[in-house]
Amino acid sequence: MTRHPKHVSPAEAALRAHAEAVAADRETRSSLWSRGFTRRRLVAGAGFVGVAAIGGQLVSTRVSFGQPGAGSGTLVVVFLRGGMDGLSVLVPAEDPHLLAARPQIAVRGGSLLPLDRGFGLHPALAPLHRYWGTKQFTAVPALSTPDLSRSHFQAQDCLERGGSSTDAAAGGWLDRVLQELGPGTTFRGIAEGSTLPRSLVGSQGALALRGVESFTLGGWDGVHDRTKAALATLYTGFEHPLAAQATTTLAALETAERLAAADYRPAVEYPDDGFSKSLANIAQLVKSDVGLRVACVDLGGWDMHTGLGTVDNGDMQRMLTSLGNALGAFAADLGDKLNDVTLVTMTEFGRRIEENANRGTDHGHGAVALLLGGGLDGGTVHGNWQGLAPEVRDHGDVPGSNDYRNLLGEVVSSRLGLGADALARVFPGHKVQPIGVAR
Amino acid sequence: MLFALAGAGASAAACMQVATTVAEKPLDLITGTAKAAPPPAPELTDRPAGARPQDGGAFPDRDASYASGGVSQPAPPAGETLSGPAAAAERARVDRPTILATDDPALHLLRRTTFGITPQDLADVRAVGIDRWLQNQLSPAGVPDGPGDQAWAAFRTVTMNPQQIRGAVKEYSWDAMFEYAQATLGRQLWSRRQVYEVMVDFWANHLNMPMPSDGAWNLGTSYHNDVIRTHALGTFTDMLLAATRHPAMLAYLDNNQSTRSAVNENLGRELLELHTVGVQGGYTEEDVRNSAYILTGRTIAKDGSFQYDPKRHWTGAVRVLDFRHANPSAAGGLDVGDEYLRYLASHPATARSIARKLAVRFVADNPPAGLVDRLADVYLKSGTAIHPTLWALFSSTEFWASVGQKTKRPLENVVSTARVLGVGQGASPDATKKGLNGIYWGLDQLGHRPLAWGPPNGYPDVQPAWASAGGMLQQWNRHRGFVQGWWKELSYVRPEELVPLGPAAAYVDALCGRLLFQPMRPEHRDALVAFVGSDVKGMAAHAAPLVLDSPYFALR
Repeated sequence: MTRHPKHVSPAEAALRAHAEAVAADRETRSSLWSRGFTRRRLVAGAGFVGVAAIGGQLVSTRVSFGQPGAGSGTLVVVFLRGGMDGLSVLVPAEDPHLLAARPQIAVRGGSLLPLDRGFGLHPALAPLHRYWGTKQFTAVPALSTPDLSRSHFQAQDCLERGGSSTDAAAGGWLDRVLQELGPGTTFRGIAEGSTLPRSLVGSQGALALRGVESFTLGGWDGVHDRTKAALATLYTGFEHPLAAQATTTLAALETAERLAAADYRPAVEYPDDGFSKSLANIAQLVKSDVGLRVACVDLGGWDMHTGLGTVDNGDMQRMLTSLGNALGAFAADLGDKLNDVTLVTMTEFGRRIEENANRGTDHGHGAVALLLGGGLDGGTVHGNWQGLAPEVRDHGDVPGSNDYRNLLGEVVSSRLGLGADALARVFPGHKVQPIGVAR
Repeated sequence: MLFALAGAGASAAACMQVATTVAEKPLDLITGTAKAAPPPAPELTDRPAGARPQDGGAFPDRDASYASGGVSQPAPPAGETLSGPAAAAERARVDRPTILATDDPALHLLRRTTFGITPQDLADVRAVGIDRWLQNQLSPAGVPDGPGDQAWAAFRTVTMNPQQIRGAVKEYSWDAMFEYAQATLGRQLWSRRQVYEVMVDFWANHLNMPMPSDGAWNLGTSYHNDVIRTHALGTFTDMLLAATRHPAMLAYLDNNQSTRSAVNENLGRELLELHTVGVQGGYTEEDVRNSAYILTGRTIAKDGSFQYDPKRHWTGAVRVLDFRHANPSAAGGLDVGDEYLRYLASHPATARSIARKLAVRFVADNPPAGLVDRLADVYLKSGTAIHPTLWALFSSTEFWASVGQKTKRPLENVVSTARVLGVGQGASPDATKKGLNGIYWGLDQLGHRPLAWGPPNGYPDVQPAWASAGGMLQQWNRHRGFVQGWWKELSYVRPEELVPLGPAAAYVDALCGRLLFQPMRPEHRDALVAFVGSDVKGMAAHAAPLVLDSPYFALR
């Protein structure tokens, strides 16, 4: 609770103060507890057995098509909502067309951090650049799929279902990844947030939550275990998605309570913002060995039609500073465990090559992904790059020279160990051909 | 400026070569160790989605996509529209399995059309009948609303115009926006005009202009009063016309920065995709561009009011879908825009989009296509009027057959908890305001503060999008909060006074009747009876939340 004091709103503070008052009342209520309802009897009681039985069933009925994966560790997918302008991030600074297309907003070469192949990195991402030398950081330009449109919502939906516009892939692509991974723990697939990202929608019961820190009970003093047992029974005996969700919630609560008791502290101090807090939560789960395989987190704010700004100020500089500082803290917090994690950023599209007259850019196509962590062939920019000459532009946009599905498929293959058959089911209608980002 | 990069071997010329790649010999992870050639760059010319957004997706909107990807619930059967709601309720048969009671249409009506059933609401419906109750609710001016007005009056800025707000709060302060959102929460909790509040929330999400957001600090209050609340039960054409010349919307989607020489596509695109015809309306990127041209000139005056600036207007022939106009003069640009907006509002694709959205709100996550078609028809025939479209919806057998098909979203779960428990306003306006502030920030943890969804597409309205363990747990916690009276400024019925205390079984039955308006199934009831045990009074503060945690309360 003390790690991020500024996140505690007055109302939450009041709520917590009340919780303490309730705790003080515990003595009275515990007399009720001692009247024959011991924890041991509860564990043996029908309700509690119900939780365990259903929990086991939930895991064991998950279909596993492929062989158990050879991979290990955790894939973290950061979705940058709004369409991040890749040309401001992974800057093809030696391309003369860049400055011609963007006289006001192009990041000038002299201020960039050196990469290779004619690219430089926006200086606000300096916290990532230190991992360039250790080969734990790389980037890919010009990513898309042929089906992506310039609509935020269409493009996000298409990518999160696996990059194809047809409804053949109705579930989320990461839900299919979890399905291919086979049985695992309650915490094997999580999203940091209040709603479930489209990529995790499906049959695998991924958790959406805002950190184990907030995954706690309030006002259940004295009747904690009895309440959980009763809840388990209330959510059995009928067909509804809520029934499975309640089971997952109760199972996750067991893990969260164990973690909460461990008095966890991150190894570094994170910036004080929601995205950083989400990454801190993911790092905690990674370090706590709860079986986390796939984690999702969103960062919005990239739809910069106006005021994208310059290298020193404006929305892009502000957003990249936040992103860089947060990812830098995440990597530092993980320490050696960074090698067990592969983080990849996605965004629904890149922007138009030509700037607009509001010092911004409109919706475009080819996007940039940043990759951080272990198992990467870092220290070099990967993927096809055709430059920005007028003849290679796609409707005025960076073309989709690299298919997102090849990048995601390669990362999933190397990090989580899915084979070719499994990948063909994750990305229906597409044969994954690696881009070369994985070692 | 010299560009010097360590290790940058490629010259500018080399960089421009087509299809440069460094992944010359990638390890083929899929088939083993064989070296595969890098994939060829996709063809640039043959990308349908680049020309027409519709080709980039498979669903009418985000919620349709979520609903198709989640664990599917059976859609209600095809049905028909009858002479009125009561007649449709009489005719409809609920044949989809649900744990909710299927023999009491009044409960279904109130679950769907209010922010949660109260004993008072139920008594009202029983007293006047379904048709009369709905008629009254759909003409809200005739429904006295002392409690809603009282909560509203606790906030000093919620009736102010932009100039007044500028005088009342510091420049760029978010105070007025928070006040408005919290006052909205107050009306959801206590207003007697519940159908109206549900529709206000519906349209506020359809024409989303979030509160808080940077540009809305002084404009947002007027947007929600003068666009959403004014037209929520009027015609969609009027609402769209008002929204698309309101400074808050123009600022939110950048139209105040769009000029003939610097066209900004943001509002022009979302007007088509989100506000009217929807992405399956078939428009092209060229249409998006033309849509933006038509809207140039709509901007904000220095004093914060709407201004049409002819100097900014793009002139020349425009074409969007079947709308064509010579658009010859800068002076006539505003009228061209209004003509365009009227065209869009009464477009059949808009009718389908709005009909579907209403059906998702009131009937099912995957609504029957036949119902959507019939509602779209009524919408068009009635000149985009909302009242007759809703009347047709409630007169459909699909509506009455859909018992148990919808799940409460977090805001609805929390508000309905307070409503059914009879949580009341504070002893003073200030106390009410503080209490609402507490509930509002509690909703932040659930990701569902009223009016706060950031992107222009509004909060999701289908269960799979809200499938969240964290959210479920926090809702359970809020049930305890309202039963146990956490927000001290508000007034509460003490948990042991909700129903008469008696033997555990009788007490549980009474509690279910009081909070769920129906009994639980025997196995669920037995679990509650065992939970309560012999100390009924001591367990009252824990038993009531448990009833509210149950799936019987979680469904709409």
